Amino acid sequence: MTALIALMPDGRRVLADTDKCEGHGLCESVAPEVYALDDDAVVYLTTETISPENVRRAEAGARACPVAALRIEATD
Amino acid sequence: MTFNNDSQIAVVGGSIAAVTAADALRLEGFDGRIQVISDEKVAPYTRIPLSKGLLAGKETVASTDLPPLGDDIEMRLGVRATGLHLEKRVLDTTDGPVGFDGLVIASGARARRLTTDGEREFVIRNRDDALRLRVALATAETVVVVGGGFLGMEVAATARSLGRCVTVVDREPALQRLLGVELSGFVRRQAETEGVHVAVEPGGVRFDSNASSPAVVLHDGRRLEADLVVTAVGDIANVEWLAGSGLATGDGVLVDERCFAAPGIVAAGDVAAFPRSGGPHRRLPNWTNAIEQARAASRALLLGDEAPPYAPTPYTFTEQFGLDVKLVGPPPPAGESVVMEGDLDSGSALLRWCGDASDPSAPTHVAAVNHHLAPARLKRLLRTA
Repeated sequence: MTALIALMPDGRRVLADTDKCEGHGLCESVAPEVYALDDDAVVYLTTETISPENVRRAEAGARACPVAALRIEATD
Repeated sequence: MTFNNDSQIAVVGGSIAAVTAADALRLEGFDGRIQVISDEKVAPYTRIPLSKGLLAGKETVASTDLPPLGDDIEMRLGVRATGLHLEKRVLDTTDGPVGFDGLVIASGARARRLTTDGEREFVIRNRDDALRLRVALATAETVVVVGGGFLGMEVAATARSLGRCVTVVDREPALQRLLGVELSGFVRRQAETEGVHVAVEPGGVRFDSNASSPAVVLHDGRRLEADLVVTAVGDIANVEWLAGSGLATGDGVLVDERCFAAPGIVAAGDVAAFPRSGGPHRRLPNWTNAIEQARAASRALLLGDEAPPYAPTPYTFTEQFGLDVKLVGPPPPAGESVVMEGDLDSGSALLRWCGDASDPSAPTHVAAVNHHLAPARLKRLLRTA
């Protein structure tokens, strides 16, 4: 998998699997602070570190992905 | 209705509409208690891969799990809501009464079945359904799928990719109700090229599950025998638990334009029947609506008339037989499309339909077929063609 990563303040990570992404864009409409689609309609993360006020929105955006291309990975 | 941090909001349901609603309440600033009451025993998951990657065995069960809600939201799994007392503001559940000040109804829908034979009639609604079908597919040679909508055709595509001999049967040409004559024809030809038999049976079919081998009986009495019969003939809103509550139900919970079913009670997702101009209320059972309606309903629950009315975005998608189809506009598109980019025969195209062929400035639908364009841009094409 080709994963893009952003770090949450609590150490968890947002993982975006660009191979899995089908470009439905729901992440972007739910959480434009964190997710966007490029010209080929593939997700990218707009930041490498998620600010505390955007944590919940980042989670909501990940949840909106119908094909589960976005995951929140717990700290080890 | 105003809520404060002593207020309690209950959310009935455990799929994407329910979790989105619960989460949206927090995002909108509600800091009282939130309980999500889900009759599923497992944590929320996405249903989209159930007919595709999960069924094919390419994706794991864990990969379909949705990112969990924050621990400031109580998930009550394996608890079924069984009744609603409007005046007393209490839910009956299998785990005792649950009081609430605000309520989100997102109890979803279940598969419509042709028989009561839960063993031999396979459906796909829950993750367990998909896993059971996956096991059965491993040893089946022939598969009949009843129902040529997105779900039925996705199951057919997956079964075919596993090498099974597959027939799809529907009253109408498969996918036509969703994608229109032209685009559905293209997808059906692709299905047939890959070896799926796509049959039309206007008189409908009957499922004979009693015979030694299960069979689908056509109108003229012919029998399509198969090792495995899957039905994908629509869904039924889960509203029975609201009987006698005083809420207006029919095919779903009837809501107003802000998703209110009653003061302090909203509904969202597959269970909600939304008003539309010039016609009866209609459910919008798809992923996009589940998310967007849940967000709108939560906002309305907290803000009342100050919340904007919900405006559904007509966006649907399917992936089957190597085709990734995205459609913006209320299904199905009518008439002939105009090719904006690419062409269908080469496998990638951007198509536009105009309701009035003489007025190309007023497109009604845009579809992308294996064409990488974000839905937001597809929607813009609809507005500014």
